[in-house]
Amino acid sequence: MIKLAPYLAYAKKCFLGRSAYRFDHLMNILSTCLQIFIFWGIYHALYGENTEVDGITLPMVATNFVLSMGLGAVFSTNDYFFPDKIHDGSIATELLRPISVPGRMIAENAGNALFNLIFRFTPALVLSILIIGISAPAGVGMFILFLISVLLGYGVLWAISFSVQMTAFWFVNVWSITTIKNVFINVLSGSMIPLWFMPGWMKGVLYLTPFSSIYFTPVQIYLGQLTYQEIALKCAVQGMWIILIYLAGDFLWKKGQKKLVVQGG
Amino acid sequence: MDFIEVKNVSKVFRINRRKSGVTGMLANLFVPKYEKKEAVKNLNFSIGQGEMVGFIGPNGAGKSTTIKMLSGILFPESGEITVGGFIPYKQRKTYVGSIGVVFGQKSQLQWDLPVIDSFELLKAIYRVPEGVYKKNLDRYTGMLDMGGFLNQPVRQLSLGQRMRADIVAALLHSPKIVFFDEPTIGVDVVGKETIRNFIRDLNRQDHVTMIFTTHDMQDIEKTCDRLIIIDKGSKVYDGTLPGIRERYGTTRQLDVEFVEHKEVAPIPKVEIIELDNNKKRFVFESHEVHINELMDHLLSHYNIRDINISEPEIESIIRKIYSGEYL
Repeated sequence: MIKLAPYLAYAKKCFLGRSAYRFDHLMNILSTCLQIFIFWGIYHALYGENTEVDGITLPMVATNFVLSMGLGAVFSTNDYFFPDKIHDGSIATELLRPISVPGRMIAENAGNALFNLIFRFTPALVLSILIIGISAPAGVGMFILFLISVLLGYGVLWAISFSVQMTAFWFVNVWSITTIKNVFINVLSGSMIPLWFMPGWMKGVLYLTPFSSIYFTPVQIYLGQLTYQEIALKCAVQGMWIILIYLAGDFLWKKGQKKLVVQGG
Repeated sequence: MDFIEVKNVSKVFRINRRKSGVTGMLANLFVPKYEKKEAVKNLNFSIGQGEMVGFIGPNGAGKSTTIKMLSGILFPESGEITVGGFIPYKQRKTYVGSIGVVFGQKSQLQWDLPVIDSFELLKAIYRVPEGVYKKNLDRYTGMLDMGGFLNQPVRQLSLGQRMRADIVAALLHSPKIVFFDEPTIGVDVVGKETIRNFIRDLNRQDHVTMIFTTHDMQDIEKTCDRLIIIDKGSKVYDGTLPGIRERYGTTRQLDVEFVEHKEVAPIPKVEIIELDNNKKRFVFESHEVHINELMDHLLSHYNIRDINISEPEIESIIRKIYSGEYL
């Protein structure tokens, strides 16, 4: 039986710790809004007089940016949580706690995500709705399914970050591989270029990668572009990615512990 | 079977050997060379419940590596470790709930938070019942005189204060075994004394099993009944502190002050060292030369004003063991 109290304590500590730096916090809201407005501005100019391109209207594009970039701000995980601990040797202290290290990472990130959702996403969303406006969800049912899919999307993103962090056992310095991972996520998840505008063959390929299931699947559900059957399938795919990627990360975690070197005496 | 059993344990690290300078860096980039370093070689010992064992050795002898294997952080390369029926590295999550570890060089406290907040977090992590937590906290902070800084952020504490806070942090969940890895490092004389007394009292009163690594022999003399010395990853001594004097400390020195300056005729198996003009030092092995006979000989042949016998300091014996003089 997994006892949750210790993990909740970590999540709470993380949530409370985040409020310590107020200036940084305000800047984060601003940076999320700027990102959304800049991309909306570019697409606004590209659309010009057209009301739709390939059946995609500008409000749909705006919705995609607000949701995927806003959620990106919520989901932002500390990719260096674990590598830092390997680097300075404090992994030793982590291993002395009677809890699961991946579980502790989930707890910290969840505390963080909750903070971001309330204090970063919500203000950015309100500002975006006031300034550029987004489409309403395609019904109450779809909105609930959208929320479920958002959670699954977060799971996929977290699992990717977790697995990449575990490579620190071997590489110690994982800045480059983390950067590559983030570029892949930014470009291929549809948060910068909506996947609607990708060439047909590429769309086909991207639908086979985990990236499209992070933000794009929830956005499609929100906009009512998918039938219930398609939603069930896409959510199952999200679940499958979580399991596969997590298992890969867990494999690295178990293997890494055997060759762990605690740095610094 | 004893409480802690270590059988034929070895641990090997792969170390990147890199030549210095730019050429060395380039060579390493394309053809990295690794060297195997045996941090721990075929180590064996066992420790009973409630024992207090000093674990010493020179830098790089494998002390910390052994402690980390005992506490479930590192996997041994080969051999077996059991502690209180657990295999530490295989059952880490359950096992570490029953142990406490203090790393003198690594704080386990939250850097930005007041000490008490770190304690509260540990209480949640270890699921310590409120009553036990309160009792332990009051008792240990009282014993270590910590009331004054419980509400200060860890980053503002002095090293001695931080060390005491770290010790309490490792004990809040009433562990049955505590590993101290250099708990007095960098602490002043008064602080060291407080920590030593605390550790000894805890061992005597609660029968907590303890392993204590340090470079300060006084730590050992004042706390431990038993001593394990390791060097280059292997055990070189395992026994009591007086035992080490019996085994290695057989050298005696006799400082004699004569009434007048006089040449002393050579005595077999005794080294004579000239000190001041009227003082001489006689160095000998206690099992080779009988002290009574030597004294008789000196007293009957010379006019003597003062005599002083001394045993070697434990510190100097240890120094000789480290430098390989006894091997």
